[in-house]
Amino acid sequence: MKYWHETLAVAQRILIELLRRRRSLVFWSTFPISVLLLNGCIFAERAKLSMAQAFAIAAPLTLVGAALFFSCLGGSVAIVVAEREQQTLKRLFISPLSGTSYFLGMFLAHSCIGIGQTLLVYIVAGFWGARFNGSLLLGGTIIFLSIISYVGLGFILGTNLARRTEDVNSLVAAFGVPLLILGGAFVPAFLFPKTLLRIAKLDPIYHMSEALLGVSASGDDLSSIAWHFWFLLGFAILMVGGGWLFYRRMLIVERRL
Amino acid sequence: MLRIEKLNKSYGRQLVLQDLTLQIGAGEIYGLLGPNGAGKTTTINIICNLLRADSGVIAINNQPVSNATKPLIGVAPQENLLYKTLSCEENLNFFAQIYGLRGLHRRQQVQASLAAVNLTERAKSPVATLSGGMQRRMNLAIALVHQPKLVILDEPTTGLDIEARYEIWELILQLQRQGITILLTTHLLDEAERLCQRIGILKNGRLLAEGSLAELRQRIPAQEILVVQTQDEERAIERAGKWGFIARRYGNQLAFWLPEHLELKEIVSRFEGIPVDSIARQPVRLEHIYIEFTDKNNA
Repeated sequence: MKYWHETLAVAQRILIELLRRRRSLVFWSTFPISVLLLNGCIFAERAKLSMAQAFAIAAPLTLVGAALFFSCLGGSVAIVVAEREQQTLKRLFISPLSGTSYFLGMFLAHSCIGIGQTLLVYIVAGFWGARFNGSLLLGGTIIFLSIISYVGLGFILGTNLARRTEDVNSLVAAFGVPLLILGGAFVPAFLFPKTLLRIAKLDPIYHMSEALLGVSASGDDLSSIAWHFWFLLGFAILMVGGGWLFYRRMLIVERRL
Repeated sequence: MLRIEKLNKSYGRQLVLQDLTLQIGAGEIYGLLGPNGAGKTTTINIICNLLRADSGVIAINNQPVSNATKPLIGVAPQENLLYKTLSCEENLNFFAQIYGLRGLHRRQQVQASLAAVNLTERAKSPVATLSGGMQRRMNLAIALVHQPKLVILDEPTTGLDIEARYEIWELILQLQRQGITILLTTHLLDEAERLCQRIGILKNGRLLAEGSLAELRQRIPAQEILVVQTQDEERAIERAGKWGFIARRYGNQLAFWLPEHLELKEIVSRFEGIPVDSIARQPVRLEHIYIEFTDKNNA
């Protein structure tokens, strides 16, 4: 129960802070919608698809490739960095809050944001006739694994590579944007040349996108997306483990008043 | 309440704490004084279980310091470590939850902490909109929300104006009246003098002196301090030496320790023939004792 209450407290705090910054909330909502509309229109035009087909492809790519990336990865990096800058992390070190609860709280808060973005993306895509065709459970699992991966990666980057808020932008620009493009967030992977596709297979965002695309647009089951799914699961475990190790490392360095 | 015995800590070859031993009784305000780098913050870090000592014993309420003792301690750090976009109530609610307070008890404690620091009317205000003094009080409220047995105040009034300082002092005394034990670190010696029952002077990781103000006064052979302004300091020092006055310099002031109480007439007569501009008598204050101990150690 201790962990649950602590997790809830951390998640609640992050969400209240987000709600207080109304402008950020509007931007977090505008971003996936605008990317979705652009992707949908481009796919329809270039791949000669109906609007429903184009948006059925655009929705999962936009969601895991762009929306969750910026909210869950960028968001978790920004929270860790803000806590370090404001030094509120020190207050947390003094308290009995465990690192596990802190991570889980961050994950829970970003899951709420992710669910909000998922609803937003699929409502807008649904307006153009797109439908979620596969198993909701499998689709939900892929989305949650993507959120865990992003939050874990956010911990790794936030605790080690970004010390100030300005660092977050440069980190996202340096690592994030190339991975997004290679992951098929803006241009679907089926349009990639073969060499690029081979490289893309090393990019976890590619596997997130392909897994959700298969389930959402084509109604694939687990066996059809097995390779992407297991890659994503392995990556999620790796990121959680890495995030935990890097968080511990930061504790050793920064656990001082 | 707090027992520290032969605590040692070093960073590499640098000894930060050397055989530090002190005890703080329940309901006592103990002032830990010392120049920067004396080891005060390291001591606090060890009490809060953020750092491990190389050797020695440290116990709160007879429990060795560990994660389990964290709820017994409330810390108000030097900086106001607050979530600025959250309201006072939300900040307190968050920390109360983390310290395991639930339901009605949590809500009551949040309100009680706000009342204790006179911020009930600003409960819904975002912390960012509070004045510096109010933010400092909020910093203290967070340290109190879980009803700790020991409160550590790290320079609680640094950077505050005099009015805000008085408010914090009154708050600290109120806490003591409620039976809370307080460990206070400060660079403001009048603050320590005003609030603390006992004072420890720390330098280079060693406790150089400890006791009540009266006990510390007895550690230096002066009944009074005489501040003398003269164009001929050399002669004044020489003359004072003949009478057994010990010369000291406090900043740019020339001062003498008087080993016994003397009438002003007698004092003036002892400097006869020396062009003295002014003579001021002062009681022996903590700053004189502090400088004596910390400078002596330097020499």
